[in-house]
Amino acid sequence: MLLKNPKQILCIALAVTLAALSGSALAMDLNMPVGVTPMSHDVYDLHMYAFWMCVGIGVVVFSLIIISMIWHRKAAGHKAAQFHENTLLEVIWTIIPFIILIALAIPAARVLVKMTNTSDPDLTIKIEGYQWKWQYDYLQQGFSYFSMLAADSNAARQLDSKINPFSVPHYLRDVDHPMVVPTGKKIRLLITANDVIHSWYVPDFAFKMDAIPGFVNQGWIEVDQPGTYRGGCTELCGRGHAFMPVVVVAESPADYQKWLAAMRASNGVYINPHTLQAENYGSPVAYAPPQLNFVTPSMPAAAATGAVPSTPGPGAAAAPAFTPAAAGPVTKAATAAPEKTWTMASAMARGKKVFDDNCAACHMSDGKGNAAMGVPAIAGGPLPNGPLAAHISLVLHGKGIMPAWGNALSDADLAAVITFERNSFGNHGGGLVQPADIARAKTAH
Amino acid sequence: MNTVAVVHEYHAGHPSGLWRWITTTNHKDIGTLYLCFSLLMFFVGGAFAMLIRAELWTPGMQLMDPEFFNEMTALHGLVMIFGAIMPAFVGLANWMIPMMVGAPDMALPRMNNWSFWILPFAFILLLSTLFMPGGAAGAGWTMYPPLFLQSGVAMPFQVFAIHLMGISSVMGGINIIATILNLRAPGMSLMKMPMFVWSWLITAYLLIAVMPVLAGAVTMMLMDKYFGTSFFNAAGGGDPVLYQHVFWFFGHPEVYIMILPAFGIISEIIPTFSRKPLFGYTSMVFAIASIAFLSFIVWAHHMFTVGMPLAADLFFMFTTMLIAVPTGVKVFNWVATMWRGALSFETPMLFAVAFVFLFTIGGFSGVMLALVPADWQYHQTYFVVAHFHYVLVTGSAFAIMGAVYYWLPKWTGHMYNETLAKWHFWLSVISVNVLYFPMHFLGLAGMPRRIPDYPVQFTDLNQIVSVGGFVFGASQLLFVACIILCVRGGKKAEARAWDGAHGLEWTLPSPAPYHSFAEPPAPNLIWTHPYQGS
Repeated sequence: MLLKNPKQILCIALAVTLAALSGSALAMDLNMPVGVTPMSHDVYDLHMYAFWMCVGIGVVVFSLIIISMIWHRKAAGHKAAQFHENTLLEVIWTIIPFIILIALAIPAARVLVKMTNTSDPDLTIKIEGYQWKWQYDYLQQGFSYFSMLAADSNAARQLDSKINPFSVPHYLRDVDHPMVVPTGKKIRLLITANDVIHSWYVPDFAFKMDAIPGFVNQGWIEVDQPGTYRGGCTELCGRGHAFMPVVVVAESPADYQKWLAAMRASNGVYINPHTLQAENYGSPVAYAPPQLNFVTPSMPAAAATGAVPSTPGPGAAAAPAFTPAAAGPVTKAATAAPEKTWTMASAMARGKKVFDDNCAACHMSDGKGNAAMGVPAIAGGPLPNGPLAAHISLVLHGKGIMPAWGNALSDADLAAVITFERNSFGNHGGGLVQPADIARAKTAH
Repeated sequence: MNTVAVVHEYHAGHPSGLWRWITTTNHKDIGTLYLCFSLLMFFVGGAFAMLIRAELWTPGMQLMDPEFFNEMTALHGLVMIFGAIMPAFVGLANWMIPMMVGAPDMALPRMNNWSFWILPFAFILLLSTLFMPGGAAGAGWTMYPPLFLQSGVAMPFQVFAIHLMGISSVMGGINIIATILNLRAPGMSLMKMPMFVWSWLITAYLLIAVMPVLAGAVTMMLMDKYFGTSFFNAAGGGDPVLYQHVFWFFGHPEVYIMILPAFGIISEIIPTFSRKPLFGYTSMVFAIASIAFLSFIVWAHHMFTVGMPLAADLFFMFTTMLIAVPTGVKVFNWVATMWRGALSFETPMLFAVAFVFLFTIGGFSGVMLALVPADWQYHQTYFVVAHFHYVLVTGSAFAIMGAVYYWLPKWTGHMYNETLAKWHFWLSVISVNVLYFPMHFLGLAGMPRRIPDYPVQFTDLNQIVSVGGFVFGASQLLFVACIILCVRGGKKAEARAWDGAHGLEWTLPSPAPYHSFAEPPAPNLIWTHPYQGS
């Protein structure tokens, strides 16, 4: 009968092992990335040390079981011994694991002490998690900006988008405004959140820290080599959890200074660091930033995504992902200029953009809402067709799963998007809201 | 059905049909109810898992809204933990503990009935949230605030469902303790109890200790949402992380509630099919007790990235690593039990040996996860998903399946179909590794858990995982087939269905009579009990 014969069982086991090995061979790198920070190297070493220790113990224990299963079978005529205790043996196999654990605990504690030492940083960046985007605040430089999923990924990830994710460069791993850091500097990260708990994670930095509303966590990184490093949110934060990647561009200190200067001079418009470099190096197409994926930094993108034939090469992948700064969405500071006054046309155009970037994730781009999620429709809804004050108040302060947008968007953007909501989707609430109206509504509280 | 015939033998005029099952206070009936309920929930939770694996087949959103995906991951966890694994162990306890300790029934039979019949209502309440406006709560089985507080009308229903499950578990725990401490046959001292009984005695104390903690945590959330308190709201002076501390103070002992009875089962099955007494009975008892004690002081290892002080990180890292010592003792003792035995590999033994291999793999990844610096890489990735499925599926669920095959002859009076059962085992053990092993690689490569969509470089491994998942899910239909066929007929089982089996349950005829041990068993039956040799 099938599977009664131990030889057959062993053959099957062997076949499974081989299948598993060949299966793994065709995939990408299977191990933890070595990474690009002193910490990630330590963590990798610790991981491999613990791994080989487990393999060693496993080989001993599993061999004993397998030997017993072969030699001590009743079918092979083995007669059962009747021993059932041996104090010496039991003491030995209590003490040996204890010693092994101490051998693991000491290096782990050493790395941990290093990881938690955030003293004497060269610079500090505050990271704030939102549903569903990140805000990077360069505390000593006086500017901050939001970083959200790149538009092409965002379009492709919609249900039934009919866009093949394999055709999107860095699908779900690209943002409009990456965080920029200098290499070789100790950077202290202050991490918090605005609404629910998020977690900021970049595998190549071996750094993961929860962003908790109302509390500020801290940690530090020091990036060895320039490159683009990708990660994401790792604490379940609602519907868009998978769609708020982290992208960090590490630049040489000189290039970083150039970027800082450009940012300070840009009046809040985000400057993509690669466009600065591209100017220095010639044509933008010629510059191919190092393709550093989740895997190892030295690995070319083609190998990292080797199993994915439809992914374009590094150069092609990079070009569309890095839009020139001026074309990108403007950040808070840019439109927050208090003297800004909208015309109906400009408010509607800007409002549509703000709506698509921030509101459409839940309320849908057609404004129909999402009944399954409990998200009301904007189209024909009571607020956009009712009194203006209530509408502004809800957008500013949120309610239930609706986030409070008061601090997340500029007054100008808030005015534009409210204007847009009241005059689109067949709504007849009407009115042209000005940034000053928003400012007044904020101070009224 | 046989059991029905037996009822009439003992109680002419006793209710029959549906009313019998609703009013029953018989431990065997209630055990059957628990086991059937948990099998049903295993398939409900499994269906959710199949939807998850189908959506994760390829990048992009094909089947469902991301929010519905979150509802699936949350309900999959809740249903499997509170609906499948825990009731299955309570069902086994109901069936076996009175027979193993020579008692006529559970100590508190009416409460026994109640603690079961709460469960179907709890799960109707929980699953009904899927059909509410806004859908079920999509905040994971851990229900972390503030995210859980964002869910709509589903939230109070889920909280009340958890209250009901907790009441059911606490009553079950009290009943088991009362039975074990009061109704043991004369001559059965604590250190002569079968290991399954020992493991459940300790588990029952854990249940009573921690289920109220969970109830407290979710009630505080209910207060925050509806009564204006701010336990977990920083703006009102509270702390969202406080919830995580309270939750995991429940959650980690909960993990052992789901594995200690499995240890007990394996300690019954391995000696039987090795035809040799369990090695190191005393150290096995102390190992279970130490694991239970340690479970109360390791909870924060689930939260190494919330930003605890260094001293707390170190404390929880060291205590967590310490758990490997008693767990190692258990594994070594099982191996020593097999060593120089006369092994045969009927299906219960196959599941038990697979348990020892695969649970140990889950233990290895557990030790790695305990190392805080490395945990910063593993935490909230598929590495963790792989870890806890190795201990809960190839650990707890495999032990339950082994137990079902082991005791089915005693329950039904028939031997199950060994060929079909072996097919079930081999398909399960192969597919379960195809399902969970690649998850280690996905996690190390940085794929977060609980995401409905993923970057394209994770596609290959996710497809391997999904194939494993579909095969594993389909294989469980064979399990149901084996059980149904065995209930309906098959080779007549002897009283001692397995030649190496020991314990009072095997002194009863198969199937076990509706009322057993109305008279206590003769002490000599216990004294010849070979757990400690002669």
